[in-house]
Amino acid sequence: MSIRRLSRRSVLAATAASTLAAVLLAGCATNTTTAASTGDAAEAPGTGGTAIGFIFVGPKDDYGYNQAAYAGSQAVAAAYPDLEVLTAENVPEDDNATRVMESMIRKGAKIIFATSYGHKDPALKVAAANPDVVVLQQGNLVDGDVPPNFGTYFGTVYEPVYLAGIVAGKTTKTNKLGYVYAFPISQTLDNINAFQLGAASVNPDAKTYVVNTSSWCDPAKQAEATSSLLSQGVDVISQHQDCTATIIRTTEAAGAYTVGYHADASELAPTGWLTGSEWDWGPLYTKMVRTVLDGEFTGSEYNANFRVGLKTGDNPFVQSAYGPAVDEETKDLVEQAKAKISAEDGSPFAGPVVDQAGTVRVPADTIPDYQTIESIDYFVDGVVGQIPSS
Amino acid sequence: MIVDVLTGGVRGGTAILYAALGETIAERAGVINLGTEGSMLTGALAAYAVTAETGSPWAGVVAGAAAGGLLALVHAVMVLGRAANQLATGLVVLFLGLGLTSMFGAAYVGRAISPFQPYPVPLLADIPWLGPIFFQHDPLVYGSYLLAPAIWWLLYRSRVGLTIRGAGERGEVLTAYGHSPQLVRYLAVVTGGLLAGVGGAHLSTAYANAWFEGMTAGRGFIAVALVIFAAWHPLRAVGGAYLFGAALALSPALQARGLGFNQFALDALPYLVTIAALVLLGRRRSNAAPEGLSRVFELTPAK
Amino acid sequence: MTDTLVRPAPEQPKIVDNRAKLWPRVVVAVLAAPVIFGAFAAAKGVDPLAMYADMVRSLADPAQAQTVLVRASVLVLAALAVAVPARAGLLNVGGEGQIVIGAVCAAGVGLVTDQRLPGPVVLTLMIVAAMVGGAAWAGIAAGLRLTVKVNEAITTLLMNFIAIDIMLLLIYDPWKDASGFGQPASRPLEDTARLPLFVPGGTLNTGIVVAGIALVAIWWLMSRTGWGFRLRVVGGNPEAARRAGLRVGTLLVTSMLVGGALAGLAGLVHFAGTEFKLRPGMTANFGYVGFLASWLALHRPLRVASAALLLAAIAMAGDSLQIDANLPAASVNVLMAMVLLVVLGFTRRSKK
Repeated sequence: MSIRRLSRRSVLAATAASTLAAVLLAGCATNTTTAASTGDAAEAPGTGGTAIGFIFVGPKDDYGYNQAAYAGSQAVAAAYPDLEVLTAENVPEDDNATRVMESMIRKGAKIIFATSYGHKDPALKVAAANPDVVVLQQGNLVDGDVPPNFGTYFGTVYEPVYLAGIVAGKTTKTNKLGYVYAFPISQTLDNINAFQLGAASVNPDAKTYVVNTSSWCDPAKQAEATSSLLSQGVDVISQHQDCTATIIRTTEAAGAYTVGYHADASELAPTGWLTGSEWDWGPLYTKMVRTVLDGEFTGSEYNANFRVGLKTGDNPFVQSAYGPAVDEETKDLVEQAKAKISAEDGSPFAGPVVDQAGTVRVPADTIPDYQTIESIDYFVDGVVGQIPSS
Repeated sequence: MIVDVLTGGVRGGTAILYAALGETIAERAGVINLGTEGSMLTGALAAYAVTAETGSPWAGVVAGAAAGGLLALVHAVMVLGRAANQLATGLVVLFLGLGLTSMFGAAYVGRAISPFQPYPVPLLADIPWLGPIFFQHDPLVYGSYLLAPAIWWLLYRSRVGLTIRGAGERGEVLTAYGHSPQLVRYLAVVTGGLLAGVGGAHLSTAYANAWFEGMTAGRGFIAVALVIFAAWHPLRAVGGAYLFGAALALSPALQARGLGFNQFALDALPYLVTIAALVLLGRRRSNAAPEGLSRVFELTPAK
Repeated sequence: MTDTLVRPAPEQPKIVDNRAKLWPRVVVAVLAAPVIFGAFAAAKGVDPLAMYADMVRSLADPAQAQTVLVRASVLVLAALAVAVPARAGLLNVGGEGQIVIGAVCAAGVGLVTDQRLPGPVVLTLMIVAAMVGGAAWAGIAAGLRLTVKVNEAITTLLMNFIAIDIMLLLIYDPWKDASGFGQPASRPLEDTARLPLFVPGGTLNTGIVVAGIALVAIWWLMSRTGWGFRLRVVGGNPEAARRAGLRVGTLLVTSMLVGGALAGLAGLVHFAGTEFKLRPGMTANFGYVGFLASWLALHRPLRVASAALLLAAIAMAGDSLQIDANLPAASVNVLMAMVLLVVLGFTRRSKK
């Protein structure tokens, strides 16, 4: 063994040994954080902080989901200039999220927004460990009792998608609509079903062809998926992806119509843009923060599985502006449908709803509740495609 | 549907082909670079960024090649200059590429560029079947049609090729003739990275028209596997690359026609196909390996 | 027969035998990695000194430190999975896939039994299932190497992707948690079947004990048994081993099986210690970082522990990069790569 290598090894060993020592010492130290927080049970959760934390599952400029959430966080920053707004992008949906949130709490945050549905478990963990911090989780549902400092929230995204489906159904010349998605999760299935139901309500011959990419943002797969759909004669394409640009550009280049999602991307498709759905989280986020800061979070409507939609007003998911190809007749149809589903007994999924196999899933004259809708596991009749499910 | 799948195969396989051709040169000289994936990724980002800034996708390609070559240079220095293990260094270089592109690529996610446009070749594009499959693509694809035979000619019919293959088989023979095998290997590895960078550029400026973290999704690894599968022969690499591209294009093609298969089974298909191809052709191939490369595989160091 | 013997002398890295000249080089080398990474950070507008201060401070927190140990336990096993075959001269890049298959097998057995059998029994069954699954997955690659001579580096790498697809296939359909609101994940493991914690409410679980036992076992296996000795002979010079009558093929296969079993065990520790359910992306590069850790440690079992700890700490510090320095999470890969490049560059290949 050369002298050099001996030294290399010993330096590495020394570094590692000291790291180990430091880590063990630190790890064995009594966990002081829990002791401190249980002492302040009297104060309302979420008050007294100096910061608000937001964690995002992707990059903040993805032209889609995370960008919208980030915009919401900036709206909060503008509304509460005395509080620091902490943001972290690309936070994976696992234990890393727990630590990121804990770090934000250490930096003075008493309100945390976990903005992806996969952040639910870490969010619950953080809420349990820090009763004085309010943790709000975007997009998932909590079973059973909701902890006093926790809440989930989401908009009924499928409502604007249903309306967009009407526009798509009216505009298509080939009666073939396309939908590119990532994974067959309930949110996506709701969107696709709503899209098809909306289109079928004005155009019974319309069918929705679906292609998955197994990724929330893989531009190569998106390009391939879009080309396949276009080559089959599909002339209106929508999507449920985190990044939307590739699909829209490919569709526009082929002269087909685009229905957007997550963000207003009409500038990418000046001719083919029909409409879409986009997030406007600002007002909802700001309202929620206000409630928390007033000390009124526990027991409020937000301390639950909070869902906003057209029925309750201020749906954070709104319909995008119309493009040049949409005529007045279509817009009227949309207005009528909107009124219908905003009514007490209206819903995009108002019965009868039949699945691909012909089974009636929602009986006539009934509407499913949010819980049922967000647990959906089938495609409706008219959707062409398969999902692995029971 | 066959036409669609094959067209997708050519389009999607081009990026892999460029990387595989580059890696063929490097491995012929006796150096394996698992960091090819990293070179593709940095190439993709550099090309996208430069195209976004300058408006010219050709400038982007040049930048992509340079970036890929630069990363491969790191690999070459470590492996040739410091005698580090080739396989381990390749993976480390990959991590480096992943991290760097993530750090510096965030600004380009979602930014629009003016990409390569498809340019149908007059007359040839109208041939039924063959037309759409081969002659309605962007310029980089056409470039690869010329590159593959060019590299074949380079390796087997030119003095440069002889030098490269010599470096891979018996370096001391080169030394006897006054050439430096190390220099040849350096150049071969960097060239490999250059071409991988072009492949990455194709991915971001012609195929997907976007940049996203980790967008190569294993294509670089496939390219390395392909080189072995093709027995280090550039023309066979073409077939392999298109085969893999077709396997990738199969899933959307089936779905768009309403023919469903399990989503994840289809996703695994390209990798299964590659392994199957390696198995079927494996025995014959391994004997064709350059001598220097065999040493890398057989004597992975242990103490 | 080796390149080192036939290559002309000037190409060899020089051996420095003057100690006085040596230390500055080593110091420069060790500092080079953080300095270069600091330069990259500065290019992004981040103050490198503040960044490193934050990283160090984030590690001092007890919860963070415990997480480092938890991560390190999995990494140790993943690294051993690479180290054992490497001593025999094989390259196992399939740790990622073997970990997934291990977790899948553990989950399969665990979810069937955790509501019917007592905790320790379930845990034992899961351990066995995970090790068998991981070994089988690695065994496929080993078999391919022996029969059709396809190099295992490539096959194990490709099989990583296939393993992930298998897991996804399971959690989106047959194993999907019926009460999970349609989210793709398996039902959470019952409390009784999880790896027990050292301190209730803490983070550190007994996975570290599992890792420790495996570490000692592998050390003993490699340095104190005939099998280990024969393995090292094969790794040092397969041709000589063949001529000496050693059953090279069997040794290669068994080394891969052991490696796969260790990776499967890593999958179990991660599943039953931290995750408790299968979900997309759960393995988070443990396989690849384990590969790097093994190389850092030059495949010696006891050094693997320090390497795994170091890399786990760096990965953990990557969080601080995100929150405090506003760099993307993957930037920590650059630091890790830098550290490894430095170490790999100053390590001599063994002389034959």
